[in-house]
Amino acid sequence: MSLTILITVALGILSGIFIFPESLGDSMGFWISAGLALLLFFVGIDIGSNRGILGKIRRIGFKVFLVPLMVALGSILGTTLAGILMGMSAVESAAVGAGFGWYSLSAIELSKHSAYLGTLAFVTNISREIIALVSIPFIAKYIGKLEAIAPAGATAMDTVLPVISRSTNAHIAIISFITGVVLSSMVPVLVPLIMLFS
Amino acid sequence: MNILLYIAIMIFGAFLGNRRLIPKMLMKKIDTIQFLCLLLLLFIMGVSIGLDEEVIQSFGTIGIQGIIFALSSIVFSIIGVRLIASKVLPKGGEEQ
Repeated sequence: MSLTILITVALGILSGIFIFPESLGDSMGFWISAGLALLLFFVGIDIGSNRGILGKIRRIGFKVFLVPLMVALGSILGTTLAGILMGMSAVESAAVGAGFGWYSLSAIELSKHSAYLGTLAFVTNISREIIALVSIPFIAKYIGKLEAIAPAGATAMDTVLPVISRSTNAHIAIISFITGVVLSSMVPVLVPLIMLFS
Repeated sequence: MNILLYIAIMIFGAFLGNRRLIPKMLMKKIDTIQFLCLLLLLFIMGVSIGLDEEVIQSFGTIGIQGIIFALSSIVFSIIGVRLIASKVLPKGGEEQ
């Protein structure tokens, strides 16, 4: 599954560069949303046909929020350590990590500070999404199903959710959705907040 | 407000699935249909990345740095979730 995903994304990127005309760029947003809507419909069917799942989630209770919390801490710690090792400002690195894979928003927010930082946020977070898409089937199989949510970050509720749902089960798909919603709502607050310390 | 649309569509799907309103024939093939749709979406996402010259150029300049950042945050996120996994999924993650 991972290899198929990798090849498909790579083929898409290559045909975007070499085959399709640039004028197509304007309508891509619509097609991505349409494709996503269709997939999320299937994820919904999957969740709905597993009866009793909401009860299970309710039994987990507030502990479900530990997942987005740990993903948030891990993401920020990860870029901060990598940044320090590469001789970058710790605060700026932390702010890039707080994009949690939501590349458009974190890049816009950080390009207010410098074009370089905005671009870095963009590249980091778009790489995160692609690596998540490719690695999640492996992580679900060899590390753990709940851990498979971690790479996705904020995209655990939309673009990466279909891959998580397919690699795990409907139960994890709901936790993934909740995780994505919580992380996505943290990005617009956390990125500017961290930059206050720079 | 795409997010509201997504939530509405998922709830609609969940309702149909819960009430067994999807024909059995279709339910059997739903995995395959879903995977093909996923591949189509991933292809489109790839195309939109490839079409954006700015993106391609920025990958050339600070691509390695960004990939290291991405890998590092993914690894630490996985470790973070691993630490609490037994609290959230008591039966070691296998709950069907």
